[in-house]
Amino acid sequence: MILRINTLVIAVALFFCSPLMRTAHAQQVQAETQAVQVVGFAGLKENTKGRLTVVNGTLRFVHAKGNADVAAASIEDVVTGKDSQRVIGGTFGTVASLAAPYGSGSALPLLRKKVDTLTIQYRDADGGLHGAIFTMPRGKAEQIKKELVAQGAHTSVPILAGFMKSLGDSREEKR
Amino acid sequence: MRTHFRNALAAFVLLTLCFAGQLRAETKQPAKMKASAIEVKMIPSDELTLPPEFQVSLYENLIEQLRKSAVFPRVYRDGDRNAGNVADLITLECTVVKFKKGNETLREVTTIAGATSMTLRCEFTDSDGNSILVRDITGKVRFFGSKLKATYDFAKKAAKVADENFSSGTARS
Repeated sequence: MILRINTLVIAVALFFCSPLMRTAHAQQVQAETQAVQVVGFAGLKENTKGRLTVVNGTLRFVHAKGNADVAAASIEDVVTGKDSQRVIGGTFGTVASLAAPYGSGSALPLLRKKVDTLTIQYRDADGGLHGAIFTMPRGKAEQIKKELVAQGAHTSVPILAGFMKSLGDSREEKR
Repeated sequence: MRTHFRNALAAFVLLTLCFAGQLRAETKQPAKMKASAIEVKMIPSDELTLPPEFQVSLYENLIEQLRKSAVFPRVYRDGDRNAGNVADLITLECTVVKFKKGNETLREVTTIAGATSMTLRCEFTDSDGNSILVRDITGKVRFFGSKLKATYDFAKKAAKVADENFSSGTARS
């Protein structure tokens, strides 16, 4: 009977503590998003898909074959931008837009989704300058940039100026 | 008699053409400059507003294409400390002369409009800072492909220019 009560107490305690554990984990990984590495990381092919996170002062790109890390302190410039890309892209999109009957394929490039771009410039251990470009869902790049700057990265476009610029862009889009 | 004359004339014409071809081939290939390493500088975006993604893509593609072409045994990045120890180091600096940001949708729908194009002045300098070669190179993307394909096109052409004018002085593997 006592054993059962003890088990029950432990179970209840664990139940109430689990949200706290989740919160602690969330603090460790502060910003995370799906991303595509367009160009830049050594040993990675162009347009590699993965997840971009900012963990413990490091920008980490997790992809199918492993991780690529860049220390936030080594980032000399981090800039965000806006872009758009084809919904049906790649070879299939190109072939479909060429081969669709009665020229209907020409409409395919019109189906586009808006994406954010994140461009970074960083130095390696020898002082060599590297650059990398990522695309990610809209609204995520500014979040990643904010985290990186908070953890020691530098930027040529201050966050407030970037926010004002994006505000201006969205106003122009509405017009 | 006539046949002999005709044959002699034909032989003469053939020989002349062969010599002319050989001479032209010799004159086309100028003496290549020797260098064992190149340092690629980051493309500045001060004079013309070059978007940062173009700037980075140009730089990374340039390094990749120079490494692929294997003209220089070593290709150093901007600021690499190891480049300072190389005696016959060549430095490549590119500045944007012309930049036209196209429109991918327009390009793919019309195939005649919306091309992205850029012209960069590439200056190769020796270790003393003397300019040894200056070329204007244009990169374009016309039909299909994202705007950054123009940077790839530019990098391929720049690597070709390097291949035509420089040699490592050692046998290529």
